[in-house]
Amino acid sequence: MSETTAVSLKRRKRRINAVSVPAETIIHIIMILFCLFCIVPFIFVVIISFTSEESIRQIGYSFIPNEWSLEGYQYVMKMGTQLWRSYFNSFFITVVGTICSVLMCVLYSYALFRPDFKYRNFFMFISFFTMMFGGGLAPTYAVSKQLLGLHDNYAALIVPLLFSPFNIVIMRTFFQSSVPTELIESAAIDGSGEYNTLFKIVVPIAKPGIATIALFNALAYWNDWFTAMIYVRDAKQYIPLQYLLIKMQRDVQFLSQNSASLGAEAVKAAVNLPAQSLKMVLVVMIVVPITFAYPFFQRYIISGLTVGSIKG
Amino acid sequence: MKKKALALVLSVAMMATMLSACGGNSGTSSTDTSSKTESSSTETASSTDTAAPAEDEIAEHVTIKWYLEGSNVSDDTEVMAAVNEYLGEKLNMTLEPIWGTWGDFDEGASLSLQSGDDVDIYFTCSWTTNEYSQYAKDGYYVRLDDPENNLLEKYAPDLLGLIPDVLVDGANVEGASGFGVYAVPGYKDIANQYCWDVNVTLLEKYGYTLDDVKNRTFDQFGELFETVKQGEGANFFPLLPESSVIERCVNRVAAIDDNGLLSYYFNPENPSEPLSKYGNVLQNKFATDEFRTFAEQMRKYYAAGYVDPECANSQTSTETRKAHQLEGTYLIGVQSYAYGYEAQASQERGIEVQFVPCEDPYIDTVSSRGAMMAISTASKNPERAMMFLNLLNTDPYLMTLLEYGVEGVHYTLNDDGCVVFTDKRADYTPWRNGMGNITILPPQEGEGVGYVERFKEYYGASHMLPTTGFTFDTDPVETEVAACKSIVEEYSTALYMGSAKDGMLDEMLERLDGAGMQKIVDEANRQLDEFFKSK
Repeated sequence: MSETTAVSLKRRKRRINAVSVPAETIIHIIMILFCLFCIVPFIFVVIISFTSEESIRQIGYSFIPNEWSLEGYQYVMKMGTQLWRSYFNSFFITVVGTICSVLMCVLYSYALFRPDFKYRNFFMFISFFTMMFGGGLAPTYAVSKQLLGLHDNYAALIVPLLFSPFNIVIMRTFFQSSVPTELIESAAIDGSGEYNTLFKIVVPIAKPGIATIALFNALAYWNDWFTAMIYVRDAKQYIPLQYLLIKMQRDVQFLSQNSASLGAEAVKAAVNLPAQSLKMVLVVMIVVPITFAYPFFQRYIISGLTVGSIKG
Repeated sequence: MKKKALALVLSVAMMATMLSACGGNSGTSSTDTSSKTESSSTETASSTDTAAPAEDEIAEHVTIKWYLEGSNVSDDTEVMAAVNEYLGEKLNMTLEPIWGTWGDFDEGASLSLQSGDDVDIYFTCSWTTNEYSQYAKDGYYVRLDDPENNLLEKYAPDLLGLIPDVLVDGANVEGASGFGVYAVPGYKDIANQYCWDVNVTLLEKYGYTLDDVKNRTFDQFGELFETVKQGEGANFFPLLPESSVIERCVNRVAAIDDNGLLSYYFNPENPSEPLSKYGNVLQNKFATDEFRTFAEQMRKYYAAGYVDPECANSQTSTETRKAHQLEGTYLIGVQSYAYGYEAQASQERGIEVQFVPCEDPYIDTVSSRGAMMAISTASKNPERAMMFLNLLNTDPYLMTLLEYGVEGVHYTLNDDGCVVFTDKRADYTPWRNGMGNITILPPQEGEGVGYVERFKEYYGASHMLPTTGFTFDTDPVETEVAACKSIVEEYSTALYMGSAKDGMLDEMLERLDGAGMQKIVDEANRQLDEFFKSK
């Protein structure tokens, strides 16, 4: 008895089909390096956000700064209402935007997925066409601003990103691969209406797809600053945090690029602009919340994969 | 039941969106009709009295939107309340400024102009995306001295009297409605004067004086660099160059085009004349003997370790230069001078900074168009906009209010009548030089009493380059310019900083010839000849 357990214990160390040890070590090393490439820059950013301005000027960015300091964070605390307003704006836009865009995506792609929808091809063409040919920046701006009234309000920051043909295609493909049409028919036979079929039967099956789309959209909304730059002009209260950061960077960039034409003006103006460590503090503040979104969505993606739809 | 409720909710949502769109449209249509009545009333009114606008001309209360650049404004409520009260009395209007910043003005203003936004006045100049001459040609700006409707004469007779003639001349450009003035020039630092930026504290430490710098030519600086470098150590770099600027300091050339390909040599003793060696002929910047001598000298200095290698790397060049400036770790650098800058520079860097000029100050096309205000052709009230600009540039009260804020809140006046800023200034910091005529402002504390007179004297004495008013239209040689520009970008930093390898200059010249550089030079000179003929 003890012998067999000993043998089986020994056996359990290496499975028969396992990869050989040297190969496994190499693969481990490559994967570890890859993970480091992804994580180290972020750790670097966090370190810089705790560096003092003096140290940056003397030795540049470094893993071991001359002088640690909390100046950046203190400055941020002093920034007061603008900062917290922007933080709130970012969250609000992301949450509301994700909900609305996911809803739109699901509704649109479900219609495209149903084979018995008469105008399927037409709508597919429209969404595909806009993916290929854009209207250009100036006409989009003119239409959004003057026709739709999208300026200086939350709608201006949410509406432009609502519809993404790419997401439609993903969703539709997902429906096609995981939802059999027989299911729809059987639901209809059982007396389910259209909305019921969609929300009670199809959506639970498609949860991984929806979670994926929701993640993409949440990221797009969270990272978006360009919409804020062109559509929000005089009302500081609608600006998201990302735009605050980009604004600082662009201001500095413009002045340094044009210092030859602007001369002493540029140098004078640049004095008033925030420091390097502050920019890193803002980066930290922007990245941290969105990293929490991943585990949240991961749950749905995994649980969806394990749920079957038709038994037997 | 649920189904009916859902259907009801959806239909209500649809109706709501339709109604809101309708509401938006009706708003814009009402302003259309009001502006029509306003413009017809100004046409019928005969404006013989130009001292104050005729009553019926300002009968309608309008809002003027004003897109500014370089602002850092988070709270303008108090200022705008005071401004609009004043403007309401004088011109029956409300001002709505759009505080564009350095980073977003280019994109925002050009988008606004191209999509026909209802903004009335735009900041424009020679170095923003809504570049003055280009946009005037494209028809975005109203021609202010249009013979059929001369807004400048009718509504802004006092304005031009306060601005030097050279600025008004420089504002003439070939635009969509003919050759004329398409924007109101701003009287600010208008002249160029390239100087050696000298760290006097360090200079004196080694027993030299400022005269040593003044009396030496560029190649004679070597001795100074050597002494200081011996004293300060291997990690100290006495020469702090800035790309093309240092070449302008050494060779006394003016930049003619944005691409850095052409040079105009002027007489350093009298910039209103060309250098007799070349006359009024533009040169291929890199093909001249002067440039070759300059490049060789820079190579010597770089090899001797006087230039920071980080500066020679175009990615880190600007950051490195700024860091050295702020730390004071340089001996001689370069700077394009603005009147009164030494005080600020010295304070920021913690050393004594003096500027040794390379030539007398001069005005060229680029500097004369440093800050201008254009009225958009999409504006519904160009007359009122012109009246506002006139008031702004002639009325010290209004200008001080907009530039410095409300007295007592954003600043106080000290005994000399100089402006001392309070903490509130941090919330309201527009770009002073980007608003208009700054000579009607009270002096700031650091500038001292009499600053305005000295300012006017300094800039009034500036010479006007013969090429002022000339803009090189690169359309006929577009492809050659693009090709040459990319070649230059490859080599220029190394050449300017001195890190170039042997024979790099010749290599670049050969490639430029191959890419059609001579064609560009010929075309530019042809246009310049035409310009001189038409003057």
